[in-house]
Amino acid sequence: MRRFFVKVLVLIMFFSGALQIKLFGISWESFKIIQPLHIVSSLLIMLFFMDSFIYKHIRRYYFVKKINSVGGWLLFGAFVLVTFSGLYLFLVGNTGGDSLGILSFNLHLFGSFVLLALFLWHIFALKKQSMQPLMALFLFITAYPALSYSKITDLSLLEIETKTGKYHSEDWTNSTKCKSCHSEIFEQWSNSNHKHMVGSNPYYMVLETLAGEVEGQEFRKWCMSCHNPSALSLGHPKTTHAMDNNIVSAEMFEKNAKTLQDDFKEHGNFRVEEGVSCITCHQITEAKSKGNASYKLSLERQKYAFEDSDSDMGRYFSEKLINSNPDAHKKSYSKELYKESRYCASCHDEFHPQNGIKIVSTFEEWNKSPYNNPKDKTKHKSCIDCHMTYLEEGKFAPLKGTSTDGGVVKEDVKVHYFAGSNHFLAGLRDKEHEEQALQLLRTSAKLDIDIKDGVLEVGVKNIGAGHHLPTGVADFREMWLEVSVKDKDGNTVLSSGKLKENGNVEEGSRFFQKVFGDEEGNPVGLLFWKYKILLSDTRIPAGERRVERFVLDKNSVYPLQISAKLNFRIYPQWVTDAVKKVFPTLLDPNVVELVSMQREF
Amino acid sequence: MKKLLLYSIIIAMTVLCTVVTIAFLTPNKKIPNYSNERLREMALSKGLKPVPASFEKLLELVDDASNPMTHEKIALGKELFFDTNISKTKTTSCATCHSFDKDLKNRGAMLKMLTQEDTKITDCAACHLQDQSGVDRFTFSQGDAGAKHPYLLNTQTILNTAFAKHFTWSGEVSSIKEQSAASLQAPHKLNIAPQELEQRLKESPKYMQLFAKAFSEGISFENTAKAIEVYVKTLVTRGSYDRFLEGDNSAISEEAKKGLANFISFGCKGCHSDIAFGGQSIQRFPLREFAQLYDVKPNFELLPQLKRFDREFPFKNQGGYLGKNNEHLFRVPILRNVTKTSPYFHNGAVAKIREAVDVMARHQIGRHLTLEQIDEIVAFFRTLEGDIVEYKIGDDK
Repeated sequence: MRRFFVKVLVLIMFFSGALQIKLFGISWESFKIIQPLHIVSSLLIMLFFMDSFIYKHIRRYYFVKKINSVGGWLLFGAFVLVTFSGLYLFLVGNTGGDSLGILSFNLHLFGSFVLLALFLWHIFALKKQSMQPLMALFLFITAYPALSYSKITDLSLLEIETKTGKYHSEDWTNSTKCKSCHSEIFEQWSNSNHKHMVGSNPYYMVLETLAGEVEGQEFRKWCMSCHNPSALSLGHPKTTHAMDNNIVSAEMFEKNAKTLQDDFKEHGNFRVEEGVSCITCHQITEAKSKGNASYKLSLERQKYAFEDSDSDMGRYFSEKLINSNPDAHKKSYSKELYKESRYCASCHDEFHPQNGIKIVSTFEEWNKSPYNNPKDKTKHKSCIDCHMTYLEEGKFAPLKGTSTDGGVVKEDVKVHYFAGSNHFLAGLRDKEHEEQALQLLRTSAKLDIDIKDGVLEVGVKNIGAGHHLPTGVADFREMWLEVSVKDKDGNTVLSSGKLKENGNVEEGSRFFQKVFGDEEGNPVGLLFWKYKILLSDTRIPAGERRVERFVLDKNSVYPLQISAKLNFRIYPQWVTDAVKKVFPTLLDPNVVELVSMQREF
Repeated sequence: MKKLLLYSIIIAMTVLCTVVTIAFLTPNKKIPNYSNERLREMALSKGLKPVPASFEKLLELVDDASNPMTHEKIALGKELFFDTNISKTKTTSCATCHSFDKDLKNRGAMLKMLTQEDTKITDCAACHLQDQSGVDRFTFSQGDAGAKHPYLLNTQTILNTAFAKHFTWSGEVSSIKEQSAASLQAPHKLNIAPQELEQRLKESPKYMQLFAKAFSEGISFENTAKAIEVYVKTLVTRGSYDRFLEGDNSAISEEAKKGLANFISFGCKGCHSDIAFGGQSIQRFPLREFAQLYDVKPNFELLPQLKRFDREFPFKNQGGYLGKNNEHLFRVPILRNVTKTSPYFHNGAVAKIREAVDVMARHQIGRHLTLEQIDEIVAFFRTLEGDIVEYKIGDDK
């Protein structure tokens, strides 16, 4: 009876494991049940039954009856190998980075076939010696790697997603969950502007609320579709901010998303994470370059058993399940699409939802630029080549490292700083972050100075940005020339672009920006969606040069000392002033000098 | 040893079989999908009636012979409600905490605040005025000169209190007039003595005139409270739920209809009753004491995680308030507009509406709702959201 049990249990362990092989292509629903069953049952069987059986079996035959069997010893060896590789997979996992993980995976996979073959051989060999060659053949066939491994292709499971149309907060897994294995990426993201796009972004909160007041509360959904898709999909009418008793929480200064982590600890996934979370970007299945959130996102992803569990134990277990066989996890969170520019464009282009007027055209600008060159791969640069590549000393220096803790070492880990022009808000939390953004900004432009017929010509060339300089919400970005000319005696002959006492840039300065006007041609101010008429556009397209001319006083005494600076400020002072009325703890963004040049004539 | 194993297996199997049998035999307690007509009928028969669309109908429901709602009184009450002059430091009005714009159609308060030159002290109301929530959105209320509530109690909405029978968190106050008088005098609210108030009002020709029109006996503390009461009684809201009750089937979503069915079937309507969905009675909270001390849901930990709460409530009882007579008795809050009035409970300890629904279900009706049920109920609450009705107040009285 005991021997019969052993046979049944070994077969259970084997088949529950074998079923998980991609070759069989079982449905995800079955997979996620079989996987934990295989692990738990194997553990229990080994722990409570098999080890004692093996011990007694060897004792009885080898030590007591003095019968030696080579097959038996081989079988024992296979048992040990498969058990330990299995334990390693469960406890440490196959993250892809360490050879031990890969070794255990293959040992466990092929070892089990060897084990089964040896097992059958061991049973039958004792009964019928002539069965041996047959068993050897079986061993060869089952263990032949090509048969059980080579046909691994895309999991067709991805297609089985059934859209029930009902989502709950649970489906928007909190990003904190990803931290346990992707700690570095989490840290980068947690201080980035993508994390702080909703409640902890004072500028956004003010503008969404204002849009709601001016255009009606429904209008907020336009903002929320890119900024806060989780809340929007769950039917929340607006974005919320955290409170600290009666004061607005200081989340914008908080490092490593502390509030989010605390929320997760306290409420699990029951409290939905607002904003752009890991899930938001990594569950996009389809994207168009139209802008205004033209992407499709699927929440019907393949979840391992206990992935949504509230308890620490369940969480621990689900992580082990992922690590021991992470293929489905990788596939469902990363797609080739994510490297293409249109993926980013689905949000980084923006038009008015009712009249269709283009407000932000970052993707369009790139599309027409020399950086979009799919024919010549060496010249083609997509969004992530600049905005998700690590910088060092002002140059792109792809970061060598891992994206999963203990995972494969990659030559170019895509960093999740999302460095762009907004160095300021990221810098409130993390200086390293700010430094990345500033380095990127400083790669963008070059200055030249010349005097022709008494006219000072300052040229600004966009040498680094694959889109206009500046782009984005361009009427809220401030880039201008600060020029000063001194004559022989050190008297100032010409000065432009200085800051006034109230922090605004003086009138008459040379700005590189677009100015939106409403129907009557008045500047729209904060209400950028009221844009109807383009009042001016002095931004510099990719690769182009723009010349600003200053007429010099004819009586100036040469030689002239000319100094020119290209200044940048993420938000004009008047915008910050307005936002500070609601968020008084907000700091004033500093003026950043991108490039400067001195020349004598 | 073998026997022990055998017996334990037999016992385990028996237990398993019993559990499975019970599970199969227990009828499915699913809330059926009611038809629109049936749902409407159910809601109306439970008293969850719509807010009247006309002023005459409102009068039939809320007018009181001891303080009739004349439109002179309403006009006076409105002036008083928004006047900061009736607080000690002249900085606080009723509308400071029970916030909404005096001009209900105004859609420019925030823009004005953001763009005006002189930077005043920051005012949360600027962003939240348009909510028309009738609360300050704070965790605990702060009155004149920033005085905190002694028990750190959360401000309750003033909207739809016309339909309530009890007022304040303890529910001990039985009329708006009484509460107005108390709020005027309370040191942590408007902090003004009756004589001082009367004197200030008498100095104003505007009030002399308004009082003379509204009351035969002119300015008095009592009349001030009366005028405020009459005005507050006109502050009612109508949402898509009301339109549904009046026959518009498409006014609310299918999810919200399920939520309404849940709300009635689970027994929420037992306390959150009548037009306002609350304010009708004083009840014990938390009702089910077993869950007060420890959160004992099985969590399969190596060491069972027993989460110990504050002794009294399923959340931290900041402020230490224990309800009426320290007996955990609270007025049932009004649920109309509830989605606009976070945070929740007497001390604002629960930030999100879904969490509040979960707490209520667990501790008041002893149910662990599924995510879907919670979401449905919240969807239903959103249909109770609405702006303050601008009644055409004719010269009928």
